[in-house]
Amino acid sequence: MNELDQHIAETLTADARLSFRKIARQVDKSTDTVINHYNRMVERGEIRGSTVVVDTAKMGYEGVAAFQIDVTTSRGAEPNAILDALIKMPNIILATKTVGEHDLLVLAVIHDLPHYSQLGKEIAEIPGVKNISSNVWPSSEEICPKYFII
Amino acid sequence: MKIDETDIAILRALQLDARTRYTDIAKQCNVSVDTIIKRYKKLKHRGLVKRTTILLDPRKFGKEVIANLSIDTEPACIDEVIAFLREQDGVTFATHSMGSYDVFAIAMKRNMNEMNALKETIQSHTKVNDVQTNIWVDQYLLCPQNFELEPLLEAKR
Repeated sequence: MNELDQHIAETLTADARLSFRKIARQVDKSTDTVINHYNRMVERGEIRGSTVVVDTAKMGYEGVAAFQIDVTTSRGAEPNAILDALIKMPNIILATKTVGEHDLLVLAVIHDLPHYSQLGKEIAEIPGVKNISSNVWPSSEEICPKYFII
Repeated sequence: MKIDETDIAILRALQLDARTRYTDIAKQCNVSVDTIIKRYKKLKHRGLVKRTTILLDPRKFGKEVIANLSIDTEPACIDEVIAFLREQDGVTFATHSMGSYDVFAIAMKRNMNEMNALKETIQSHTKVNDVQTNIWVDQYLLCPQNFELEPLLEAKR
């Protein structure tokens, strides 16, 4: 990755809607050069996409929760299938496989305590979920939106 | 905070692709481009929208190893431990959490050796009782559309 790539990444992290023409002017390069570099970063998977960063508290979410899930390997349960089920659930923003104490981690936005409890129950009902350890914190803090949306 | 269907259409479009053209959103909503621009500005002004961002893959930026840390601390020293964590290179996020442990943190490092060194540094803090590390494997999945926007809709008369 070169300097121009870095500049494009940093600029679009602050404002993803900035035109390529404006970025080109900032670095004294042609718009086509900037577009080519951007496209290559997308092709290489450095840029996964783009999104809007919302104020979760103003959206009516009081908290963010981390659910760490243990998976049972019996009865043909497949961690990838559980992961796919999780990421389709409303309010789950991130899901990943992990190695260590637990098998999966999900991060979810939480309206209030009843919702927290309800979401925990819904996760527990997914076939193959053996155990859940969960934690919650106020939604006011950003985790790191350029990597994790929230 | 209340919003309407046009606001939701804007948010949904930008969640999927922050570079979606206003003209495309306008066409989809059957309103003018000016309306979309005005509405988007209002969403930002009200603070519902903070900004737009591209989503980067940390592993492509020299942060090969991502982990979440569950930390158990001395009960009266949580803030001290969080301040200490935030000073550590590679700690992206650290917060006081309620549940099975005291602090939830996310860290990113260049390799496993560096991650282990970070874990040891945290463990050596006198107010830290236990650190559990979970290393993320494969690409993590993201779904911005999973935000529920519909509860914010103004009640229909």
